[in-house]
Amino acid sequence: MSNLNHEIKLLIIEALDLEDITVDDIEDDAPLFVDGLGLDSIDALELGVAIKNAYNIKLDGNTEDSKKYFYSVKTLSEYIQLSQ
Amino acid sequence: MALSFNIGKCVAWAPGLESEQDWQLWQRGERPLAEELSLPKLTNIPAMQRRRLSPFAKIALHCALEASGDHQADIPCVFSSRHGDLHRTTLLIESIAQGKDLSPTQFGLSVHNAAAGLFSIFAGNRAPLSAIAGGQSSFMQGLLDCVAKLHANHLSQILYVYCDLHVPDCYRSYVCDDTAIGIGLLIEAAEDTGNTYSLSHHEMTGFVNSECQALDFMGFILSDESQLQAKINQQTWQLCRNT
Repeated sequence: MSNLNHEIKLLIIEALDLEDITVDDIEDDAPLFVDGLGLDSIDALELGVAIKNAYNIKLDGNTEDSKKYFYSVKTLSEYIQLSQ
Repeated sequence: MALSFNIGKCVAWAPGLESEQDWQLWQRGERPLAEELSLPKLTNIPAMQRRRLSPFAKIALHCALEASGDHQADIPCVFSSRHGDLHRTTLLIESIAQGKDLSPTQFGLSVHNAAAGLFSIFAGNRAPLSAIAGGQSSFMQGLLDCVAKLHANHLSQILYVYCDLHVPDCYRSYVCDDTAIGIGLLIEAAEDTGNTYSLSHHEMTGFVNSECQALDFMGFILSDESQLQAKINQQTWQLCRNT
């Protein structure tokens, strides 16, 4: 579980070019978009593609469910485990 | 027909040549172009916006912001590049070849007007803006577009930004004047006094490949030569200094 969280954080940093941010700066439970890490809608698309390429899981862009999965590292990690 | 104009400010960036002093040393033959291209820091741009800037966009934006200065929010602009952000396009093509999904960011920012768009977003600039490409004459074609707009629209000033980087390795054997350089010019309507320039071009026979027009331009602008001629593909471009 924590390994996957770590992996997802690395994926976020790499896919979104977050040069100044390290794995330690991203909390498992903190919101990724707007309030927390401050990611935007282009990041959501980019992260969706990165997760698809890395885990072969499709995340639909604009459903209520996908908003739930994209909320934090923890929710993404749970979704990936569920789908594998 | 020759179009006259003034150059209010000239900013340029190339490998090893970043400040005005660097360029003066280069013009006197005291400093060569370096091998390694370093990138402008662009500390004024927030980190979350800056992270999406490619090396190409960083150099283009540096030249645009430095040359336009206080006018950056409302000055009309022309951006020109022969290859555009070819490194981004190449990554996209490689992704397609590997059967991967395309990165939306790479896709959105690989278009030819991406650097111009990023500049307009950052500077909050809603003035008319165009992005052009004109093969090996891209520098002169862009300058012509810029000066023509200055005259046709009776503008007091217009920003010209030219940028090209070394092409990716896979394209290198197809390109002869592969130079990395960005130039930002604050172009102003010519007054009666002071140093003005005039640009003209005419057809000629035969094909001559000139060297990098942008680099030749920098050599000319820093010199006291009276004219710069660029002969290329059945055209002669002539930039004269009127003293």
